[in-house]
Amino acid sequence: MASRFTIAEVQVGDVTILRLTGRLELEEGDLVFRDCINRLVDEGHLKIVLDLKAVTRIDSAGIGMLVSKYLSTQKRGGTIKLLQLTRRSDHLMDITRLATVFEIFDDEADAVRSFAATT
Amino acid sequence: MDAVSTPSRRILIVDDDRALRHALSSLLTAAGHHIEFAGDGPEALALLHNRPFDIVLLDIGLPTMSGLDVLARVCELATPPRVIMMTADDTSESVLEAVKRQAYRYVRKPFPPNTIVDVVNEAAAPAAALSFEVVSARPEWLEFLAPCTIEMADRIHSFVMHLEAKLPEDVREAVAQAFRELLMNAVEWGGKLDPNRMVRIACVRTKRMLIYRIADPGQGFDIDGLRHAAISNPEHDPIRHLLVREEQGLRPGGFGLAMTRSLVDELIYNEARNEVVFIKYLE
Repeated sequence: MASRFTIAEVQVGDVTILRLTGRLELEEGDLVFRDCINRLVDEGHLKIVLDLKAVTRIDSAGIGMLVSKYLSTQKRGGTIKLLQLTRRSDHLMDITRLATVFEIFDDEADAVRSFAATT
Repeated sequence: MDAVSTPSRRILIVDDDRALRHALSSLLTAAGHHIEFAGDGPEALALLHNRPFDIVLLDIGLPTMSGLDVLARVCELATPPRVIMMTADDTSESVLEAVKRQAYRYVRKPFPPNTIVDVVNEAAAPAAALSFEVVSARPEWLEFLAPCTIEMADRIHSFVMHLEAKLPEDVREAVAQAFRELLMNAVEWGGKLDPNRMVRIACVRTKRMLIYRIADPGQGFDIDGLRHAAISNPEHDPIRHLLVREEQGLRPGGFGLAMTRSLVDELIYNEARNEVVFIKYLE
């Protein structure tokens, strides 16, 4: 199936910002996302921010992959934080109670600064 | 960083808007496809009878002959191409006609450039060869029998959501998400992603409510045994089921039922739990 999902990487100091675009869904963006995080963590990039502003749809598999990669990154001593959720993604985070698991930011600078506060 | 690998296809663009034809041609040529044009239905049919095409991008509002009439004639070809309908007019009648005549997709104009490339690339994939059976195509009762694949679930979801285009945005988003989650559950867990097994999908609209029924070909499940689903998690631990899924070798996920319960007004399973109905009340 054609992928409608892309990831752009931006490095701000030792924080990696991933700008996700498209559908984070079963067999759509979920595997591209998984492979990207696996590569970053293997390369030692352990401070990761996911900019979700341009994620048009997210489903159970996409949310599952977000949490799975959050947990695996934490096991390696890092973390993943979320940035600029759309209204729809924000609602899904609420109803799945994942808003209590992830740190979520509206402002990119705040997200980047938050890593300094914890190291 | 995306993963597109699509075979080159012969594509016919049928639209009376010259600027749109050329814009689409540029996009799809850049994507590696071979493009030809027609400005109306008779010209398109002449080309289609003359040589084979894999995919047709077909406007509905054509001069002299409606795109839906062209679609009907295309269906009669010995090896009909996959037809993607394009229109600014997505009345339920035109969506239903497109569904009945086995259009591959229905795309509303104006569309972002990448959308049409994505849809064409999907139509070019071998999985797009599967077809569904339309059991009923009334605005009040739409019903399909469809093979259990993710691609087919995406197609059905797209058609159904075009029919719900006039709903308030919050209702439409809730219904779209719930319908997709339950349909994916049906084809993945009930149908084991086997294209030889069929899922039955009915969408019933009344004045006061939307009713969706999905019957999968599986044996059903025991809801008390769903430790791998988020609905089993304790209040304080919303991700415990993911550890169970990892132990069981299941892909990450399991949030579908929890999400659906929050998005719809009623969610009812039959006794075996291989058939589900959800209801969304309208104002």
